[in-house]
Amino acid sequence: MAGDKKMTKYSMYTKMIWHALLRRRSRMLIALMAVAIGATVVSGLVTIYYDVPRQMGREFRSYGANLLLTPAGDQQIISESLVSNATSLLQADKLIGIAPYLYDRVKVNEQPLQVAGTRFQSVKKVSPYWQIRGNWPEDQSEDIVIGADIAERLKIEPGQQVTLTVAGNDTEKKVKVAGIVRTGGPEEEFVFLDLSLLQQMLHKEGVVSIAQVSITANEAELTALTQKIGQQVPGVAPRLVKQVTQSEQTVLGKLQALVYLVTIVVLLLTLICVATTMMAVVTERRKEIGLKKALGAENRSIILEFLGEGLALGALGGLMGTILGFFFAQAVSVNVFGRIISFQPLIALLALVVSIVVTGLACLIPVKIATDVEPAIVLRGE
Amino acid sequence: MSLLELQNVSMIYGNVKALQEIDLTVQQGEWLALMGPSGSGKTTLMNIIGCMDKASSGSIVLDGIDFSDVTAGNLTMLRREKIGLVFQQFHLIPYLTAVENIMVAQYYHSMPDEQEALAALERVGLKERARHLPSQLSGGEQQRVCIARALINYPMLILADEPTGNLDEANAKIVLEFFQQLHREGHTIIMVTHDPRVAELAERCIILEHGRIADRMDRRIVCREEEVS
Amino acid sequence: MFWQMLKGALVRQSRKMFMVAITIALGVSLTTAMLNVMLDVGDKVNRELKAYGANITVTPRAASVLRDIYGLESGPGGAGQYLQEADVGKLKTIFWANNIVGFAPSLETKAIAGTGDVTVVGTWFNRQLELPTGEVVETGIKELKSWWTVEGNWVSDTDINSAMVGSTLAHKLGIHTGDTVELVLPGDSRREKVTVQGLFNSGGPEDEQIFVTLPFLQKALNLEGKVGKIEVSAITTPENDLARKAAHDPQSLSLKDWETWYCTAYVSSIAYQIEEAVSGSRAKPVRQVAESEGTILQKTQLLMLLITVLSLAGSALGISNLLTANMMERSREFGLLKALGATDGDVLLLTLTEIILTGLAGGVAGYFLGLGFAQIIGQNVFGSAVAINMMVIPWVILSVILITLVGSLPAIRMLLSLRPAAVLHGR
Repeated sequence: MAGDKKMTKYSMYTKMIWHALLRRRSRMLIALMAVAIGATVVSGLVTIYYDVPRQMGREFRSYGANLLLTPAGDQQIISESLVSNATSLLQADKLIGIAPYLYDRVKVNEQPLQVAGTRFQSVKKVSPYWQIRGNWPEDQSEDIVIGADIAERLKIEPGQQVTLTVAGNDTEKKVKVAGIVRTGGPEEEFVFLDLSLLQQMLHKEGVVSIAQVSITANEAELTALTQKIGQQVPGVAPRLVKQVTQSEQTVLGKLQALVYLVTIVVLLLTLICVATTMMAVVTERRKEIGLKKALGAENRSIILEFLGEGLALGALGGLMGTILGFFFAQAVSVNVFGRIISFQPLIALLALVVSIVVTGLACLIPVKIATDVEPAIVLRGE
Repeated sequence: MSLLELQNVSMIYGNVKALQEIDLTVQQGEWLALMGPSGSGKTTLMNIIGCMDKASSGSIVLDGIDFSDVTAGNLTMLRREKIGLVFQQFHLIPYLTAVENIMVAQYYHSMPDEQEALAALERVGLKERARHLPSQLSGGEQQRVCIARALINYPMLILADEPTGNLDEANAKIVLEFFQQLHREGHTIIMVTHDPRVAELAERCIILEHGRIADRMDRRIVCREEEVS
Repeated sequence: MFWQMLKGALVRQSRKMFMVAITIALGVSLTTAMLNVMLDVGDKVNRELKAYGANITVTPRAASVLRDIYGLESGPGGAGQYLQEADVGKLKTIFWANNIVGFAPSLETKAIAGTGDVTVVGTWFNRQLELPTGEVVETGIKELKSWWTVEGNWVSDTDINSAMVGSTLAHKLGIHTGDTVELVLPGDSRREKVTVQGLFNSGGPEDEQIFVTLPFLQKALNLEGKVGKIEVSAITTPENDLARKAAHDPQSLSLKDWETWYCTAYVSSIAYQIEEAVSGSRAKPVRQVAESEGTILQKTQLLMLLITVLSLAGSALGISNLLTANMMERSREFGLLKALGATDGDVLLLTLTEIILTGLAGGVAGYFLGLGFAQIIGQNVFGSAVAINMMVIPWVILSVILITLVGSLPAIRMLLSLRPAAVLHGR
């Protein structure tokens, strides 16, 4: 029969909490709103905080290659197979692109110029800041791209045909200039053509001078990668492009610090708002607390009842807020970065737990104060 | 043996002497009326007897237990076990139905029992209103629920603080009739009132003035003639 | 009577209204801080992005000097292939002078050091330049190339015969700090000696070069007062369609558009104005830097905007909610007032006055608190103060009014419908 006793007491407890929440609709809605708003803001901001480095980090790849694979020692060239050995050690989902380059000299319309053989599709990914007037060469074509400075000097326009002669080889090749590249940098002094084509013309099949890699990774990760590659692929000397990696570190760090500080400030405000709202809602029930004490309730019982209500509210509000917060973070990610984020169960759990804890505590304080007061005073007074 | 015995009970708040050297004995089955002008200390006395406040000095013995020297926790327990309270402002929990309000009293005492609670409501004539919220009940009906609640744990002593103060003529009559029935059934009632007609129904009447018992009268003699506001 | 009631109401409820005032103050401080930071973050991040170095290169308009990978190039050509060093100071006189954060002129040549060829670059390291306006600026590659790590010391511009050697080259030729290196310069094959002050690591092609002071190289090449290139780092506004159209051909713009473009700090506009100031020059945006910083700036600003919107919406709703809760908690008090004979109008006026006073107190306190928060954020993240934007004030006032109104509406509606008796008797 002791089991029965506990069941009925427990069901009465549940019934009281249930009715307290359901039959006081306007008060409960206010309290619920407070918790839900708080949880939304918290979960939204925390999700953004954890997501910013990843998303922003990808944006920083527009600065171009951050890792160079160069020939080890005094070598001038490395084999493409060595390069792919090295790149196989990189995480595919973080890799933006690998652009190989083979440097040499050519004569274009009898003018001696520097030439670079590369894969244009890769260049588009690794160096998105190239501006092409005209068109990119089509795959498998023999069209070339020339730098803006050269185009200006030699008065060449896109679509024009030029004569290409390779050093040490007297055969001429007529090729079309598909486009002119403008970057404001050293590219403007180069002639670019397809890597395989150049390799053929130079009889240097299967080798490159350097490979530019663009990969989403912070400085620490990159350093680790260079060590790994240096150890496992001896023919390749990996180097960080410090201009890119270091600056990225600085700026990205500041952005994250900014979001972090903002999150903290907003968190504090939200907590206080939720707490004060809960306190206002609970304080209103002082008389009820006094009554219960008059009916012989122990302080502990009353505290447990309010705690139960607080926990229920915290859980429901927390759930609502977590979902809404995730949708908000998703909206931010899509609108700012054009990418979607995956659901983070850990953050959701954190937001839920914090909601429950904060709401519970916010309920407890006024209840504790109220139960300390003698019921006589409460029942008699205003 | 008397049910309740107060000896030399005083209550001092700071400089204010709310009660001074009160001696009072209440027998089992008595109906005692407590009268006096406002500020005379009647509510204070009620609170002390009702275990909601502790006296500054003096001894209070209820059912053989001296609770002048008892901890707050034990006071609560005593209140739960032995006292039934009815207030002027019929305090009911606004979000629970009539029967649920009674079950709350059971809950804190021992265990909620819906059947017993319904039976209690039937005794006060409110069985059909069992599932109604306080906002759906009239003043008189609410007070009757309070009475049912006061009785549910078989208290030794019923304390009523101006139970008809907020009721109209008709409802007051019904409530008072009920108290008379309780008295007939042998319950001990201490009732604070300012209405001499109510005091008239009681067996005994005590008048408080400035914290002291001004006069103790048997009902037939003075309470009828006293004009107290 | 009204004022007595008000005073009474305020005093009695002072603790509760104090809590509300504090929450409003915090909400307002959040609004103020976020808005100020949001409006300034673009500028701050822009400055941070200057770490990437020069975003504009200035070269002579005439045929640029060809660099050769192998062999010594025959000496530098005739006039028209250089810029005047005297014109460098003019960079700080253009319309966008304040956006020019750093610049460094340089002169480059091939030389022989030891057994092989090296590229020698003469430039400013950290030169004090006096402008025509009398102002003194400090600029050079020390500021422009922030990612260089130096073993030893930077060269001092006044120490003419000193040099810094790239780490790769130093390793190859076995050069250490303190060594003297002999350079054979093109032209009349002069031999000059320089002392190595330090070795640097740039992670780029400079690691194979030797950097000397500009006056040293100018004298050695008989090119006094001439420079081959100026690298400029400027704070710019991200490009949009107008800017791109102008970059292609400024003459194609209508007069109005041209003025807008000229008066906005687009990188193309600044480059154009540099060309006006430095005679015979061609100023080109370094797209690798300029394009990217534009993208990142835009995204950062959008991100901050959205975060601000979320936080402000959240705090506004939260405070409204709190006000409603607070009003409802006090329903009994208002019922009492009505029972005492106050009309609906009286109660309404009383309530509104209270709310306005609380909102005012909280708002003013919150504004200054918010300025403080903004500075804390600015100092901790960017190491500089956040610009206080006066435009924020009307928004703050608007939001306070909105919050307090919206928060009080449901409560006021409810208490206007209160029946005094019901409230007094606890129903």
